[in-house]
Amino acid sequence: MADASIAALPPKPRGFFPLWAAVGVALVWTAVHDLELSFEALLYGIDDMAEYLGRYRAPDFAGLPKMLTLMAQTLATALWGTALSIAIAFVVAPFAARPLAPNRVAYRIAREFLNVIRAVPDMLLALVFVAALGLGPLPGALALGVHTAGFLGKFCAENMERVEPGLYEALSATGAGRAQVVMFAAWPSVVRETAGYALFIFDRNVRMASVLGLVGAGGIGLALHDTLRLFDFGRSSALIIVMLATIVAIDLLSSWLRARLH
Amino acid sequence: MKRPDDAGPETSVPAIELVDVGKRYPNGFVALAPLSLAVPAGQFLGVLGASGAGKSTLMRVLNGLAPATSGEVRVGGVTLGPRTQRAIRARTGMIFQQFNLVGRLNVMTNVLTGRLSHRRGLPSLLHLFPRDDHDIAHEALARVGLVEKAWERADRLSGGQQQRVGIARALAQQPNLILADEPVASLDPVTSAEILDLLRAINRRDGITMVVSLHQVDYVRRYADRVIGLHRGELVFDDVPGRLDAAALERIYGPRRAAPPEPADALA
Amino acid sequence: MRWRSPTRSGFPPAGLWLAPAGIVVALIVTAPLVEVDVARLAGAPRKLVEFLGHLVVMPDWDYLPDLWQKMRETLEMSFLATVIATALSLPLGVLAARNASPHPAVFHAVRQLLSVMRALPELVWALVFVSALGLGPLPGIMAMAFVTVGFMGKAFAEAIEVADPRPVEGVTALGASRGQVLSFALLPQAMPDLVGTTVYVLDHNVRAAAILGLVGAGGIGYDMVMAMRLFEYERIVLIALAIYVVVTLLDRLSDRLRARLIHG
Ligand SMILES: Nc1ncnc2c1ncn2[C@@H]1O[C@H](COP(=O)(O)OP(=O)(O)OP(=O)(O)O)[C@@H](O)[C@H]1O
Ligand SMILES: [Mg+2]
Repeated sequence: MADASIAALPPKPRGFFPLWAAVGVALVWTAVHDLELSFEALLYGIDDMAEYLGRYRAPDFAGLPKMLTLMAQTLATALWGTALSIAIAFVVAPFAARPLAPNRVAYRIAREFLNVIRAVPDMLLALVFVAALGLGPLPGALALGVHTAGFLGKFCAENMERVEPGLYEALSATGAGRAQVVMFAAWPSVVRETAGYALFIFDRNVRMASVLGLVGAGGIGLALHDTLRLFDFGRSSALIIVMLATIVAIDLLSSWLRARLH
Repeated sequence: MKRPDDAGPETSVPAIELVDVGKRYPNGFVALAPLSLAVPAGQFLGVLGASGAGKSTLMRVLNGLAPATSGEVRVGGVTLGPRTQRAIRARTGMIFQQFNLVGRLNVMTNVLTGRLSHRRGLPSLLHLFPRDDHDIAHEALARVGLVEKAWERADRLSGGQQQRVGIARALAQQPNLILADEPVASLDPVTSAEILDLLRAINRRDGITMVVSLHQVDYVRRYADRVIGLHRGELVFDDVPGRLDAAALERIYGPRRAAPPEPADALA
Repeated sequence: MRWRSPTRSGFPPAGLWLAPAGIVVALIVTAPLVEVDVARLAGAPRKLVEFLGHLVVMPDWDYLPDLWQKMRETLEMSFLATVIATALSLPLGVLAARNASPHPAVFHAVRQLLSVMRALPELVWALVFVSALGLGPLPGIMAMAFVTVGFMGKAFAEAIEVADPRPVEGVTALGASRGQVLSFALLPQAMPDLVGTTVYVLDHNVRAAAILGLVGAGGIGYDMVMAMRLFEYERIVLIALAIYVVVTLLDRLSDRLRARLIHG
């Protein structure tokens, strides 16, 4: 027992933790209830799942050349999408960076443009482009490019805003034009980070490109959809392995490149 | 603070015994040449040495943070080893130059971490402690005069206050021994004196053995019962502070020195 | 006039043109695979405008209650997936953190597991889970949770790894156990990052949930594809707008929250 001669502790400030915890539990409960998830079904499902996953044990690599072609198409789609995204960001980012934008209106328009293309899911864009251009990987690449330009553009613009303002001023003071400030001060200051982020976007685009086939936008995704529909587990398994191997390899390659950038 | 397991100041078992203890780091560097030393219970031992002499290494060898690579370390008569390390650490407080508090936790929780070695199990992982531990922590905070800061985040405190929390954390362990590695090196002179006064009061009143490494010879003279000096990992001085003359300082800090070094010089 | 770069050789530095040149070559080489067709591209803007023209219609207001219901389902799915993923990621993240993992072998094994888990996109797993469990939100939730555990586990591990070692030493020196060091020194330091990652993942999951309906795994995506296939522009407008609003709101919220966490 602390003896009485010791000063009493000040009142303990009330934390909000219990409140947050209660809100969290209530939300989980509501969601589970709304979605009609039952835990028995889940447990039962897990049991089923083991049996089901067992069917993927024997991958059937009979159509491997075709699969590899589709995978190559997927990678190409991701590459074109990423290139488009870089191109868009290259033009738009300086307008979306406060110190570089010519005026507030241009700044707001550029920012909102980036926000909008970021908010529209690339699958939705792919649906739209497929409707406009017909089936094939090209609309897929466009969708990826437009959507990820929103991320890349915002990233570059924010980095350009973080550059020491004196740098831009110093160049402007020499009489350099706005475009020259962008080319000589803004881009060189952020090119390293941008390259890293572009690699990250490429990674992401490879993943997305492998499911674009679901909406008719090319790549390996449609093949998986079809084999699963036909309950052809051997082929599905082979397709998943090809995708997994490629994506993990690309991941390793890009993290190696990113590490070299630093 | 009562410690019923303490047999009293005249115990024959030394608080610390080092027998040919040496430390070689994995990279091959020999930070401590084999040295032997006995520290009686209740002593205030000052440790002097230039930067890189091995003061921190010695401290860390004493509680197994940097296990000795040769010889034997006995704390309270128990040989330090993988099996006994936890029990020894439980009764050995440690105070750091950089305080080493968990900045995002409040002061009370930081002090309560001193009780962790006594409380195994799930509740302690969930930051729950019995009433008794809260009382011990409260008492420790009162000792260092920081009761009113109990619920503040540790990183909101000044350096001196943070070091007091570090001391309270050590006190909450109800230790037999406190190791303080340059406890005042990051503090201004006035605060430094306050902290050292506090350590000495704890040493005198509770009979807790103190091993304190310091850069300032003045402080050692003022506070320590006994001084050891390290030079490049070797024990070159071991006596009462009164015998710290120019020759002794030269042995500790190297030849070129005529006068007792200023703290800033000792760092160079 | 002869152009010269401000370098010793007068040519632009290799690093600056090699990478772009490599990309351009790769683009040209892969153009046939992507079926790049100038004529098709040239015709695209007209078709796009035409398509957008269709969208200038009176929205199908009667669809609103249904839309609300689907949107709510989408949000609930992403929320549950995030909760489940967080709960699983914490222990996995600890095992995958170099400074908290019980053994280097465990560390490497868990890192590998996480990278495989996050390799494939949600839609692939949703396809697999739907084929196993049937249509409905459950396979969608499982797919999202599965993929985001791969992502969150790694992010959590990295957050733990950057913790300041001094408090860790401070608590270790007291004789604290492994679990206690984790709970008192590592996790409190990692907490802002953990919360930031969770918010980011919630944001990501809402985007994912919006398209999972494509394969029958619940959420608004199903209605979106059906409306698109049936040319129900009166609905497409509403759905696109709803997704846009929700995603934007969440995006802003998570930006703001993370900014606050970083600055204290
Ligand atoms: N983990 C380590 N690995 C290798 N060498 C180390 C390690 N830690 C310390 N050393 C070396 O051991 C020697 C003694 O270091 P120590 O930290 O004990 O010195 P110190 O007397 O505390 O110095 P200071 O006054 O600067 O704190 C130094 O030369 C240091 O470089
Ligand atoms: Mg030291």
